[in-house]
Amino acid sequence: MSETPETDGRAADGMSVARIPRDAIVGAAILAFCLAVWLVTLGFKEAPAAIAQNVQPATFPRMVLLVMAVLTATIMALSFRRQDKPKKTLKPMLWPSAAIMPGFVLAFEFLGILPAMILLCVFLPLLWGERRLLLIVPYSIVFPAAIYLLFAVVLKVHFEPSPLVFW
Amino acid sequence: MDAFLSAAGLFSDPFLIFVILAGTVGGVLVGAMPGLSSTMATALLLPFTITMDPIPAIALLSALYCAGTFGGSITAILVNAPGAPPAAATAFDGYPLAQQGRAGLALGIATISSTIGGIFSIIVLIVAAPMLARIAYDFGPPEYFALALFGLSMLASISGESAFKNLLGGAFGVLLATIGMDFTTGVDRFTFGFYELTEGIHFIPVMIGLFAGAEFLTQANSLDRETVRAVLTAVKLPTRADCRRCLGTMARSCGIGAFIGVLPAEGGTVAAMIGYNEAKRWAKDKSRFGKGDIRGIAGPETANNAATGAAMVPTLALGIPGSATTAVILGALQVHGLRPGPHLFNETPTLLYGIFIAMLLANLMFMGLGLLGAKLFARVTLIPTRFLWPAVFILACIGSYALNQSIMDVWIMVIAGIGGFFLKRHGFSAAPIIMGLILGELVESSLKQSLIIFDHNWLRFLERPIVVVFVLLTAFSMAMPAIAGYRARLRAKMPPSADIPGD
Repeated sequence: MSETPETDGRAADGMSVARIPRDAIVGAAILAFCLAVWLVTLGFKEAPAAIAQNVQPATFPRMVLLVMAVLTATIMALSFRRQDKPKKTLKPMLWPSAAIMPGFVLAFEFLGILPAMILLCVFLPLLWGERRLLLIVPYSIVFPAAIYLLFAVVLKVHFEPSPLVFW
Repeated sequence: MDAFLSAAGLFSDPFLIFVILAGTVGGVLVGAMPGLSSTMATALLLPFTITMDPIPAIALLSALYCAGTFGGSITAILVNAPGAPPAAATAFDGYPLAQQGRAGLALGIATISSTIGGIFSIIVLIVAAPMLARIAYDFGPPEYFALALFGLSMLASISGESAFKNLLGGAFGVLLATIGMDFTTGVDRFTFGFYELTEGIHFIPVMIGLFAGAEFLTQANSLDRETVRAVLTAVKLPTRADCRRCLGTMARSCGIGAFIGVLPAEGGTVAAMIGYNEAKRWAKDKSRFGKGDIRGIAGPETANNAATGAAMVPTLALGIPGSATTAVILGALQVHGLRPGPHLFNETPTLLYGIFIAMLLANLMFMGLGLLGAKLFARVTLIPTRFLWPAVFILACIGSYALNQSIMDVWIMVIAGIGGFFLKRHGFSAAPIIMGLILGELVESSLKQSLIIFDHNWLRFLERPIVVVFVLLTAFSMAMPAIAGYRARLRAKMPPSADIPGD
């Protein structure tokens, strides 16, 4: 029985099952995306012929989608001719860090920019393994305050008042 | 001449000099910090410049761009982690030289060759940009369409895993550019009821997300990485013998960098790689390359800095970015109400000369900073990731918000960041998406106008000589990766004895 080559950094399972190349899987997802976007373009309003001059609002996006589909099909076809390179594994820390990104925007929207920055400056270093509170505490006060003063006072960027920041 | 003199007169203002110095110091710092690049830094800095006058604002960003390209070499040499992508090739010989206890010489060579490349590129910019702008006066919608297509086709040859992936990224960027109201018909496209999307999505939040947001996740995924530093005592100026040894390499890299830089979409990274390969190819003794040959530092460093000013040529003359960082500068010009392209040369010549002088000063300043303060700048790598990246993420969010003071832009940045991380994992680079997003509107509007002019007859595009030239260039640039791949396969199949000596 021939051994399957190591394709994604994990040991081969010893079975001679042909694996689908990673690019082919990604390509299938992109094709599905193109199809979904094409369906969205079906909902675009038609413009009167005198205004559209034979180029309806959906025409150009559809042309781009066709180009994307052709390029994706080419990538998929080529992926069967080459072996996948090993990929660095995703660490467990990635997922909470990724969740913090939209979490921060929600905090920005509902608590205000200053509390959101303070929360991020406290929790993210803690999440990433920092345990020196003597560094975290001044960092989470000085940095957000400096950024807030710079943008809100010096650069006159308007931040919406929030339940915790009402000025 | 009057415009030059009035621009030079502006530099008697200490504030402007301070701004350029701040941009240069900031550029070297962010360039030296692995993960932070001059592209990301200019994008993050753009909101700070909104309240400034156009000249200091663009001077600040231009200085940061020049210095950031050089700054990457510091950590490439001392830490073997290029601070910025254009410095990746510098590490091939810089780090081995540093390990031999000659980090000072390596940094000295990098500083001098970066300055030479940078100053050469500004000469190219001063000469070529007005010439190109004069040619562009004759451009109509068909020429702009062909030019934009050529710019997108160049994505096939920029760095990344595959030409097709870069082209796909570019097409995706063009698709993103169709979000919002169709300006011909007034019909909303892909807005899904969000009125904030009616005007389309600005490329700055997308760019901040793709660069800073995605890098934030990359850092989160590599928190256990340890950095080993080479010891640096002092930066040494190269001797006359060193200079003589590198002279040919620097001259070639100046040409390579300037040529690559002028091409739309190409940037310092490609120039540096070619600069390194050419330095090796022309060397009689190749055995030292990869083990600490100073020409392996001079080649890429001259080339990537020679690409900086040159990349400003299409940006200023045509409104087509020469690199990802010049795309931000293009955005900054637009934010300040300026229209990049040939009219810029007639309407605001003082601003243009101001940019040229600012870039020249930045090059001279980073030479001084590099020779005197490299040891200090290298210490930025000591800033713990756990404190640095939360700060970068906050700046990314506020930077995205500050442009239009819209929370939607922050959401766009976050989505681009998370999406960009996974796209990068699968071999899709950020730069093609940005390029597509910037050029998308031009492609669509010029195509529509051309079709109306030509009464929907596509063959009439070929009646315009400039269009034919761009079509041929597009076909060539699309075929280039395939030709290069074929040549590489042929060379690999050749028996070693068939290798041409000196090739």
